[in-house]
Amino acid sequence: MLKKLLTLFHCSALGALLASGFALADTLDEVVDRGTLRCAVVLDFPPIGYWNDNNEPAGFDVEYCKDLANSLGVEVDLIPATWSERLPLIVTGRADVVIGSTSDSLERAQTVGFSIPYAVFVSQAIVNTDSGIETFEDMRGKKVAAGVGTVQEQWYEEYADDWGDDYRYQGYQSENEVFLAVEQGKVDAGMTGNIVAGPIAQRFDNIELGPVLPFTADYVSMAGPRKDVSWLNYLNLFIQQQVRTGRYEELWAQFVGSDAPDLTVGGVYY
Amino acid sequence: MDYNFHWQPVIGRLPDLLLASLDTLQVAALSIVLGIVIGLLLAILRMNARGRWTPLQWFAVAWIEIARNTPVLFQLFFFGFGLGAWGWHLSPFMIVLAGLSFNCAGYLAENFRGGFQSIPDTQYRAARSVGMSAGQTYYHIIIPQVLRKVWHPLTNQIVWAVLMSSLGMLVGYQELTGSAQYFASRTYRIFEYFAVVALIYYALVKLILMASRMLGWRLFRSEGGV
Amino acid sequence: MDYFSGLQLKDLGFLAEAAGRTLLISGVSIGIGSLVGLIFGWLLTVLGRTGRFLLNAVLDVFRSIPLLIQLVLFYNLFPIIGFSLGPFAAGTLVLTVYTVALVSNVTRSGLESVSPDLRRAARSLGLSYWQDMRHIVWPVGLRAVFPAWVGVALSVVKDSALVSVLGYVELLRASQTLITRTQEPLIILAIAGAFYFALSFPMARAASLYEKRWAQ
Repeated sequence: MLKKLLTLFHCSALGALLASGFALADTLDEVVDRGTLRCAVVLDFPPIGYWNDNNEPAGFDVEYCKDLANSLGVEVDLIPATWSERLPLIVTGRADVVIGSTSDSLERAQTVGFSIPYAVFVSQAIVNTDSGIETFEDMRGKKVAAGVGTVQEQWYEEYADDWGDDYRYQGYQSENEVFLAVEQGKVDAGMTGNIVAGPIAQRFDNIELGPVLPFTADYVSMAGPRKDVSWLNYLNLFIQQQVRTGRYEELWAQFVGSDAPDLTVGGVYY
Repeated sequence: MDYNFHWQPVIGRLPDLLLASLDTLQVAALSIVLGIVIGLLLAILRMNARGRWTPLQWFAVAWIEIARNTPVLFQLFFFGFGLGAWGWHLSPFMIVLAGLSFNCAGYLAENFRGGFQSIPDTQYRAARSVGMSAGQTYYHIIIPQVLRKVWHPLTNQIVWAVLMSSLGMLVGYQELTGSAQYFASRTYRIFEYFAVVALIYYALVKLILMASRMLGWRLFRSEGGV
Repeated sequence: MDYFSGLQLKDLGFLAEAAGRTLLISGVSIGIGSLVGLIFGWLLTVLGRTGRFLLNAVLDVFRSIPLLIQLVLFYNLFPIIGFSLGPFAAGTLVLTVYTVALVSNVTRSGLESVSPDLRRAARSLGLSYWQDMRHIVWPVGLRAVFPAWVGVALSVVKDSALVSVLGYVELLRASQTLITRTQEPLIILAIAGAFYFALSFPMARAASLYEKRWAQ
């Protein structure tokens, strides 16, 4: 009887070991084993992510996805997402990583894990030529748009109490709808990143560059499963290597066309 | 997959969500009222198309068929950025109202037409021959029967309008679904928010069905209910 | 840089391909959903009081919650409970269940519309239950169901546009992609609308002609 119990114990211990052995596999193992990297990107954010004229994904973030997949020796499976879809893709395990200009806010860090920043933007407005907006103060009382779930939306909202009735905000599902809204004159201004604002203002006759917004610098990170520290470590190293090998500069020059911004913050460890 | 639910933030937002459900009810109710009025007009226009078609009748038929044969989400997009390209700017609320009313009018027009056509001409002639005026005939004889005929589809349409107003989220209107997405976008816990919102919709629909049944029972009890 | 460019001829092919995916996802959902819906509709006419109540309560949930919410909820729920489904699989599953809920409803009312007198007559002529089903109830009932079923099928084709929120590139999502690139909302929306109309209108006409002929 005792012997029987012991064997049973052994078996279940072995079972537990096997089970935990599988459970311990991290995203890195899964990606290599699967042979594909499921990489989420935002594709209405030119030149960081967009559809080219063959209706294929292209842009800085898309190249980063491909580089990351290359480093792992796997195929890339690009998942186009809107702003608000990005983090749910990670939380529910449908994407391995989001390379989608995700600002590393503390609120979001309660839901997903962030790598070190891989790019940095300045928040800037694009304005309709008829809006008469020149400074940030001018946006008071004007209709201002941003994508639902962007940090620009959240930072702008911090002015809501101050401005009271002069606070007029409109959220849209995608960055593209923000551009369209400004272009059509549905809103007076849209809030986006500085490097995106440039091409948009060039493309449309009735959109021009608006004021740089008084928000903190917008450091953007890759997002992965929060508890998967080994995977996040790998992403950190990947970002480091991209800078070290000059690939970061190269891609930035190719897509954005200016000097690549410094990714370090002075006076504090990450 | 080890997912840990965060319910606390959603519970904290419950009062805001309930307030937002009033916006849902408001836009649905207005679109039904507009849908009934326009639908009646369209039905009358279409029924009067005998032989030769006037531009007005073409207009009615085009409205009805486009409303019924394209997705309502497409219709909402059209009232949004589609009209915007012509310089017509509707607010997100107006986009939802216009889209749902356009759609409801198309479907209700066909229901009304079916209701009117199910009543034989002989009833009308009989009523006139006992000395009723045309108005009286409609008020006492025709309308009550049509109303009874369309009561069930009309109820369905109201429920449909409440459910489809959720598309407001996709055109920037913060009704129940849009607000939930907005709140959820802070921490991206969309599942928890939408689960609670699903319960609210369920309750709203049950309330509407109950109200419709009670009202229907009062209106039609002499004829044995709906 | 080529991130904005005008509408080209090959974009029509891109839209047509996406229209094919709209047909695929709605076709699969309507096919499976109608079969299961027929069975459930029949069950609703033969089950006991409790069984009928329970089945109806479950199906009713899917008719009382916005499809948009159902899609987002289930898309996020599947991975949480342990199996991850792509946009197509998750969208098909939700659309199928939605179709089942609608079809079972019209089937039940169709079968119930077969007059009891007719059925009593059939049984008194010596037909067994299954013969009665096979020769009386299904032919008569299904003919009554058919127009309503077409209505359900068409609404599923149109509602499949909502699967776009899961990222499945069907017709509406494809047109949004094109709008992003070309910034020409009006013409692209008009083309997408024309595609839907061309899918839906002929079927709707055929069904109403059939109904009219049968009514005479």
